[in-house]
Amino acid sequence: MKLTRKYLFMFLSILLILSVAVVGCGGGKQASNAPAAGSGDKIKVAFVYVGPVGDAGWSYSHDQGRQYLVKEMPNVETTVVESVPEGADAERVLTELASKGNKVIFATSFGYMDYVEKVAKKFPDVVFLHATGFKTASNVGTYFGREYQARYLSGLVAGKQTQTNLIGYVAAMPIPEVIRGINAFTLGVKEVNPKATVKVVWTNTWYDPAKEKDAAKSLLDANCDVIAQHQDTPAPMQAAEERGKFGIGYNTDMSKFAPKAVLTSPVWNWGPYYVKTVKAVMDKTWKSEQYWGPMSDNIIDLAPFGPMVGEDTKALVAKKKDTILKGQWDVFTGPIKDQQGQVKVQEGQKMTDKEMLGFDWFVQGVDGTIPSAKQ
Amino acid sequence: MVEMINITKRFPGILANDRVSFSVKAGEIHALLGENGAGKSTLMSILTGLYRPDEGEIRIQGTPVDLQSPRDAVAHGIGMVHQHFKLVKPFTVAENIILGLKGIKEVYNLKSIDESVAQLSREYGLHIQPDSPIWQLSVGEQQRAEIVKILFRGAEILILDEPTAVLTPQEAKDLYKTLRKMADLGKAIIVISHKLSEVLAHTDAITVLRGGRSVGTVRTKETSEMELTRMMVGRPVMLETVKNPVNRSSKVLELHNLSALGNRGQFALKEINLDIYGGEIVGIAGVAGNGQRELAEVVAGLRAIERGQKKVDGNDLTLASPKQMIQAGVSYVPEDRLGTGLVPNLNAMENYLLKGVQRMPSGFINWKQVAQETAEVIKKYDIKVPNPKNPVKMLSGGNLQKLLLGREISGKPRLIVTMYPMRGLDVGAMETIRSLLLQERDRGAAVLLISEELEELFALSDRLAVLHGGEVMGVVDPHKTTFEDVGLMMAGKRMAAHG
Amino acid sequence: MGNSWFSRWHFEKRETTSNLVLVMVPVLSVVIGLIFTGLFIALTGKDPLEVYLLMFDGAFGSAYGISETIVKSIPLLICALGLSIAFRMQLWNIGAEGQLYMGAFGATWAALTFPDWPAYQLLPVMMVAGFLAGGLWGLLPAIPRAYFKVNETITTLLMNYIAILWVDYLVVGPWKDPKSFNFPISPQFTEGAILPTLGTSRIHMGLVFGVVVALLLYIVLNYTRWGFEIRVSGESPAAARYAGMNYVKNILLVMFISGGLAGLAGMTEVSAITQRLQHGISPGYGYSAIIIAWLARLHPAAIVLVSVIFGGMLVGGYSIQTSGFSSTTVSMLQGAILFFVVGGEIFVNYRLVRGEKGGK
Repeated sequence: MKLTRKYLFMFLSILLILSVAVVGCGGGKQASNAPAAGSGDKIKVAFVYVGPVGDAGWSYSHDQGRQYLVKEMPNVETTVVESVPEGADAERVLTELASKGNKVIFATSFGYMDYVEKVAKKFPDVVFLHATGFKTASNVGTYFGREYQARYLSGLVAGKQTQTNLIGYVAAMPIPEVIRGINAFTLGVKEVNPKATVKVVWTNTWYDPAKEKDAAKSLLDANCDVIAQHQDTPAPMQAAEERGKFGIGYNTDMSKFAPKAVLTSPVWNWGPYYVKTVKAVMDKTWKSEQYWGPMSDNIIDLAPFGPMVGEDTKALVAKKKDTILKGQWDVFTGPIKDQQGQVKVQEGQKMTDKEMLGFDWFVQGVDGTIPSAKQ
Repeated sequence: MVEMINITKRFPGILANDRVSFSVKAGEIHALLGENGAGKSTLMSILTGLYRPDEGEIRIQGTPVDLQSPRDAVAHGIGMVHQHFKLVKPFTVAENIILGLKGIKEVYNLKSIDESVAQLSREYGLHIQPDSPIWQLSVGEQQRAEIVKILFRGAEILILDEPTAVLTPQEAKDLYKTLRKMADLGKAIIVISHKLSEVLAHTDAITVLRGGRSVGTVRTKETSEMELTRMMVGRPVMLETVKNPVNRSSKVLELHNLSALGNRGQFALKEINLDIYGGEIVGIAGVAGNGQRELAEVVAGLRAIERGQKKVDGNDLTLASPKQMIQAGVSYVPEDRLGTGLVPNLNAMENYLLKGVQRMPSGFINWKQVAQETAEVIKKYDIKVPNPKNPVKMLSGGNLQKLLLGREISGKPRLIVTMYPMRGLDVGAMETIRSLLLQERDRGAAVLLISEELEELFALSDRLAVLHGGEVMGVVDPHKTTFEDVGLMMAGKRMAAHG
Repeated sequence: MGNSWFSRWHFEKRETTSNLVLVMVPVLSVVIGLIFTGLFIALTGKDPLEVYLLMFDGAFGSAYGISETIVKSIPLLICALGLSIAFRMQLWNIGAEGQLYMGAFGATWAALTFPDWPAYQLLPVMMVAGFLAGGLWGLLPAIPRAYFKVNETITTLLMNYIAILWVDYLVVGPWKDPKSFNFPISPQFTEGAILPTLGTSRIHMGLVFGVVVALLLYIVLNYTRWGFEIRVSGESPAAARYAGMNYVKNILLVMFISGGLAGLAGMTEVSAITQRLQHGISPGYGYSAIIIAWLARLHPAAIVLVSVIFGGMLVGGYSIQTSGFSSTTVSMLQGAILFFVVGGEIFVNYRLVRGEKGGK
C-alpha cells in the first residue's frame, strides 16, 4: 500500500516534470515550400532560427524575409529549422543542413557563431551567413542592419510621449548589438526630452515571453510609462497595454498585439538582402563580407505610428529620418557623454563602425549597468 | 443466506480454492477455520468481489449472483472487516462511514448521519461516538467503527478477518457479545479464525479448510478441540510440550538498571535488571504496550539506551549498533515478520542472505553458496517455497516464520530474542517453532521469549519475567507459580520472588 | 451498464508479474504512442510512416546520424545510471538536471583554473571536480532526507533551479569570456580540457565512462554486499536497520554517487561538446533520464539501450525538421509515448479480465 502510493507520487512527479521538459525541448512550426516546378537552376537554401517562428519578433522577421525570397525566386527551395538552442544542437543542425544539399545557410542568431565557424570548415562549398556575428571566413559572411538608426528615431517618439520622464528598456543580453540599440534610443529620447532617463533591465534570454513580461512589469512598477524592448516577443508591449502605458516594439510591427500601447516599432526587412545574396551565390559573384546595411538599404525601418503619436512628433521623426537616409547625419555623432559625464565622442566626430560594433559603455541618460567580465 | 458452491480459484502455481462449498444461514455465527494458506482469505476475497472465481457459483438468498467488484458485493449486503482497518485516521467515525459511499450529496448533513450512526451503535450495543476522530480511538473501538461502517452500508452478511488478533481478552469477549446480538437480529456472521478455543466458545458452526479444500462443516456443539485440530492439520498434534530439564551455563545477557525511551519520548523501560543464561528460555509476560517491544529492540541494538548497561558474554555492548549486536551473536525474530524480519519483495535466497551478508568477508556475494545454504534451511525446516526465486510475500505466515527463525538460528547465535513468535500461526507451524526454540535452548543458546499467551510462556519458559509500565515486576519460576499470580503481576503487583 | 461491452472488462490484481510483462508493457506503450501520434499526423495530411521513417533515418540511417545519436545518449545514459541507484533505494532524485549543471560548473572551474595543464592531468581533475560538485549537490538534499525525513522529491527538484541559475550567473558575470563581446559564455577551454573524440565525429570518451559505469553498476548491485544493502534499504528501511545496515549512511552515499554521476555527465558535456560553460548546456537531459531509468526498470543494460533510443528520438526530431516536418510532431510523439508508458504501468500490477460469459 505504502509502496503503491510512493510509485504513484513518482509518476505524478515525472509527468509534471516531463510536461515541462518536453515543452522546453520542443520546437514550433515548420515551413517548407514545395520544390519549384521545373529543374533549371534550383538551389536549396536553409534557415536556422533560435526561437519558434510564431507571429512576431526576430525569427518571424527572418521568416518573412524567407517568404519574400521564395516569392521572388521560385527556383529556391527553402528549409527551416526553428527553436535551435545556441548550443551543441546547433552544430548538428548546421551539419545536417549542409550535408542535405543546402547551398546557402542563414544562421540567424549570435550564439551560433562558433558552430558556424566549425561546420563551415567541413563544408567549403556551402555559403554560411551569420546574422549579427563578426567572425568571417572564405565561405562565411555576416550580415546585419544599422538598426540603431531606427532605434534613435523610436527614441524621439518615446521621449515625446513620456510623462514621468522614465522610460523602461527590456534588454536581452549585454552584447554590443543590444548596448548600441539602447544608446541610440537614449540619444533620441534626450534629443527631445533632456530630463528623461532610460532604465535598463537584462533578461539574459532572447526569447522567453514570461521573463520578458516580468521584466517589463518591474519597469512599470518603477514608474516607467514607456517600455522599449530588445526581445523577440510582444510580451513587454502587452504588459504596457495592461497597465495603460505605452511601448516601442521591435523586430516586427507589434501594434496588433497591443494596439493601445505600441507607438511604433523598429522593424526588419530581410527579404531584399536574402534575394540579393542568394542571387550572388547562384551567379558565383558572392564574396565573403561583413554586411551592415544602413536604413537607406531599406533593411531596417520604423513601423507605422500608433494613433496616439502626435503630428509634431511625426514631423520631427520624418525630418530626422530624412537626414539619416541622405547620409547627412548619423546617430553617434559627437558630442556624446558616457554615464559618468565624460565626453567619449568629441563634438563633430563620428564613431567608427569598429567602435560601434564593440560598444561596451552606456551613454548619459541610461540608468543601468553592463555586467563586465573579469579580466 | 449465502451459498458458495464448488468455488475454484487458481493463481499462478497455486490452487487457492479447490471446489470449496460453504454456506451460512441468517442468524448464525459461522467460523471459517484453517491454517495459514488454507484458502480462507481467498474464499472471502471472492465473496467480497475482490477476486472472481474461476469456477463455481455464489448464491445470495437462493439467487445466483455475479460479484464483479467490491461495490457489487456491498450492493448485495456483504461487508467485511479486515484485519488491518481501512479507516482515515484524522477523520471522525461518521466521516469515515460516508467516505466512498454512493448517493451522498455534494453538500451533506453530517448531523443526520451522526444521528443514524448513533442509532445503529445503540441498536447493536457498539458504544461508538460518531464525532470522535479515529486516531483517538483504541483498537477495539476502531474495530467497532468498522463494523458500524459496514452496517451503515446495509450489510446483512458480515465477514470478520481474525477479529480478535488485535484485541485484549476482555475486548474479544465484548466483540462476540456484539456479534451474537447482530446474529439474533438476523444477520449472518462469518468469522475467519485459527484460534480453536475462541471458535469453540462463540460460534454456531465451523467450516474447516485445509490446503484449499473444504474438510467439512460441523456444528460447534457437536465437536471438540481434538477433532478440529485433526481436521485442520490432518494429523494428530502434540499439544503438550515435552521439555528436557534445564541445563544453565554461563551468563549470556546482562541488563543492569537499564532505561530507554519509547517512540513518544517517554521512558518505556525503567531500571530493568535481567540476566539470561545460556541454555535457558526466559519468558517475558505482560499486557502489550508495557515495554516488550522496547526491551526487544534495546537488546537487538535497535533502540538507544538512556541509562544503565547491557552486556553480552561479559562484554559491555551498551552503545553497540545493530551490526555489532549481530556480530556478538544476538539473533532477533521481530514482531513484524514481513517488512522488518523479512523483505516482502525479495526472494527466499535474498532474505536468507539478509543477515549473513554482513559476514561476507570480501564484500562480494557468493550466490552459489547462498543458494545452497538456503536450500538446506528450506529442507531442514520443511518450508514450503514453491519457487525460491519468487518474492517471499507470496509465502504463508507459517512458512515465513520458519524461514525467519531458520535464518536467525543458522548462525548458531548466543542469544535469540523472539517477539510473539507464534502469533497468527497455525497449529502445525506453531509446533515447529516451539520445538526449534527448545532445540536452541538445549544447544546452549539463551532465549528471550516475549509473548502475550500465558499458556505458551508457561509451557516453554524456564524463568518468567513480568513487565508492567516498563518495569520488571518480578522474575518467577513458571513451575512454581500460578496463572493468577502472574496475572496480578501483569496488572502491576510486585512480587518478591526471584527465580 | 448491465450488458454493455465495457462493463464486462475489469482490472484484477496480478499475483506475480512475469518478466515478459515487464518488458512488453513499455514496448507496447511506445507502439501505442506511435500509433496515437500517427493518427494526428495523418489528420494534418501527412503520412505518419514517412515521418517515422525520416526520424529513424535521421537518427540511425547514416554514420553521422548514429554518431550524433550516441553523442546525445551519453549524458542521458550517465544521468540515468546515477538515478537508477537512487531509485533503487526509493530515493526519488529529481535533481539530475541540477547535478549535471553543478558537474559542469566543477569541471569548468578546473578547466579555467589550470588552463596550461596537459590533458592527462587536467581531464582527471575535471572529472573529479565534476563528480564532486554534482555529488555534493546530490548530498545536500540527502542530509535532511536522512536525518529529518524531508521529502527529497521536492528538494532535489527545487535545487535544479538554483544550479541552473548559478551557472547562468557565472557566465553572465565572473566567468564571462572577455573576448565574447559580453555574450554570456565562459572562455573556450584549452586543448588539455577537451575529451578525446572518436575520429572526426563528436562521439567522445564519455561513452566509455557510461558503459564502464553501467557494467560496474551491474556488478555492484548484484554481487556486492553494498549493492545488496541498497536493494534491501530500498525495499524496506526497517529491515535494513534490523539487518545491521546503516540506512542513513547509505542514503547519503547513494545520493552522493547519484549526483556525482550526473555531475560526470555535465563534465563530459562541457568538455567534449560545448567546450565552454554557457547557458542551456542541457536541454533537460536530467529530466529525460528519469524516464529512461524508469522505462529500463533500473536495469543497467536496459538503461544503455533506452538511452540510445531516447538520443535517437531527440536527433530524429531535429532531423525531420530539415525535411520540412514540424518539430512539434516530435514533441507530441514524446509526450504521447510518455503518456502511454506511464498509463501502461497499471498493467504491470493489474491485468484486464473479461467478465464471465453472460455477465449478470
